[in-house]
Amino acid sequence: MERKKVIIVKDVYKTYHETKVPVKALRGVSIDIHQGEFTAIVGPSGSGKTTLLNLIGGLDRPTKGSIVVGDTDIATLSDNQLIDFRKEHIGFVFQSYNLIPVLTAKENVEFVMLLQKQPKAKRDARTAELMAAVGLADRMDNRPSELSGGQQQRVAVARALAPKPTFILADEPTANLDSKSTADLLDMMAKLNADEHITFVFSTHDQRVIDRARRIITIEDGKVLKDEWVQ
Amino acid sequence: MIAKIAWLNIWRSRTRSLVVISSIIIGIWSLVFLLAFMNGQVNNYISSIIENETSHIQIHTPQFKEDFEVDQLIPNADQLVAELGKSADIHAATGRILLNGMLSSSAAARGVMVKGIDLRLEQPVSHLQEKIISGQPIGSGRKNEIMLSQRMAEKLKVKLRSKVVLTFQNISSDITTAAFRVVGIYKTTSKRNDELYAFADIADLQRLAEMPQGSAHQIALLVNDFDATDTLAAEISNQHQLLKVETYKEISPDLELFNSQIKLNMIIMTTIFMLALIFGIINTMLMAVLERMKELGMLMAVGMNKLRVFFMVVLETLLIALIGAPIGMLLGYLTTQYLNETGIDLSTWSEALEEFGMANIIRPFVTADTFFIISIAVVITAVLASIYPAFKAIRLKPVQALRKI
Repeated sequence: MERKKVIIVKDVYKTYHETKVPVKALRGVSIDIHQGEFTAIVGPSGSGKTTLLNLIGGLDRPTKGSIVVGDTDIATLSDNQLIDFRKEHIGFVFQSYNLIPVLTAKENVEFVMLLQKQPKAKRDARTAELMAAVGLADRMDNRPSELSGGQQQRVAVARALAPKPTFILADEPTANLDSKSTADLLDMMAKLNADEHITFVFSTHDQRVIDRARRIITIEDGKVLKDEWVQ
Repeated sequence: MIAKIAWLNIWRSRTRSLVVISSIIIGIWSLVFLLAFMNGQVNNYISSIIENETSHIQIHTPQFKEDFEVDQLIPNADQLVAELGKSADIHAATGRILLNGMLSSSAAARGVMVKGIDLRLEQPVSHLQEKIISGQPIGSGRKNEIMLSQRMAEKLKVKLRSKVVLTFQNISSDITTAAFRVVGIYKTTSKRNDELYAFADIADLQRLAEMPQGSAHQIALLVNDFDATDTLAAEISNQHQLLKVETYKEISPDLELFNSQIKLNMIIMTTIFMLALIFGIINTMLMAVLERMKELGMLMAVGMNKLRVFFMVVLETLLIALIGAPIGMLLGYLTTQYLNETGIDLSTWSEALEEFGMANIIRPFVTADTFFIISIAVVITAVLASIYPAFKAIRLKPVQALRKI
């Protein structure tokens, strides 16, 4: 049975005009991502992988082409609609964790659910469940500064999962982590992917991530160079 | 949660927040003190004029004020004074004879207005006895006693017990001369008044000017409720329609002008203080926003809408202002209370103050209105100061903000 497509990127172009010479970051990229994929977008610096991730995440708009997430062409949404869309459908994990430093781990995880106006009981239950899933049930009341890099990134994953998004976008999630933290984090994400069929899309240079991915999309000069499934 | 983040954000850069909070405290403290000082000045000026010159309400015949004719007497003024004095709204009432004349000593002569007073009734209105610096008040029972100001005594080159001669017109328009003995020297806060007035017993002037007993040119009233002066004057005027009843504001319109000028100054000063605060707060909040660009980008990336981001920055600014302002107001209040009790001695500038009829001691005070206005001004200032940093925050594109380290 064919799995459901959660992301359809069709003939997407992105040109930046921030410098005197326009920079063509993407030149006609088309990919489909299915429910439950564990996919790495790889490529050298400047190849366009982060640009592609930003476009899929609705953080930026394509110059040309369409990006459909679920049933919505996100390129047609207004800024405010995009914010609401991201809140409901997309989980983000950033390279430098980007937790809210003044809140505890629990509050960081709870934050997006608060924006969604979920009731407290539901928030508390989901936060406890996620903190346990990322192995930090005993660090709920610690602030980010009291956690290691690996632990912070786990909290970031829990935060990304909290609103039950359609997929998780992770931009270089292991770039600031040591080997053990990287392995632990990847184990945890692979387990969530296997057990709960959560879709993960990574942009990465990290061979350790590439080794764990089941699909590797290689981008170079703004084009898809290779798209291979790994057994 | 947004309120909690806003509150905790303030303390992320504790030193910077404390610096801006301190500047708000010092600014509000100074503002409260300055406004209190100006209130004290206004009060000092108005109280001096009321005590030394206008009282709260004055009653004359309608023609008296036009040419100060000696025959423009309120008949049976003593009965009216007694009647008004019984009113629960009136603190004190007194009748006065006012005679323009020439006061001469062996060395000099001066134009003068002699006020004929009943010291027992006059005392609660003008507190004349407290202004005597040597000698004693008139009213010992001896005839033709006079009290001169220190300034007048110096001009006439007379001392206590000296004789002076008063030349004036009696009620029949005949020139009359009478010798008076100086029994008391006084000093008020008004240079102009001290150069113009002298005080004698009302009975002596009535007798010398051949006026009917109990008559007076002027009835002066002090009211119990300062704010009810206009209403009370209107009531008295209705009851005594043949007489002209005037409030201190009508007698001395410059008081109202002075009062409104000071109020305008207060508004200007408050505005200047708030403008100075605005730039300090904008600077701090702008720094707070710019150094959190990445975090703000993340908040927007995960679904915090622009309105919430805007509200969070406004709330942070408001909280900073609302920490500083009450402390500043409390310090301002305590300072004002202390200085109200001790008084601020401006005797170094007494010459200048006397020109304006003001006392040397200023007692600053603040009213609840002042605190209310400052509170509103602080909230408006904080909101205005937050608008630019808040706009800066919501204009961020998450994708650009997240790229920043």
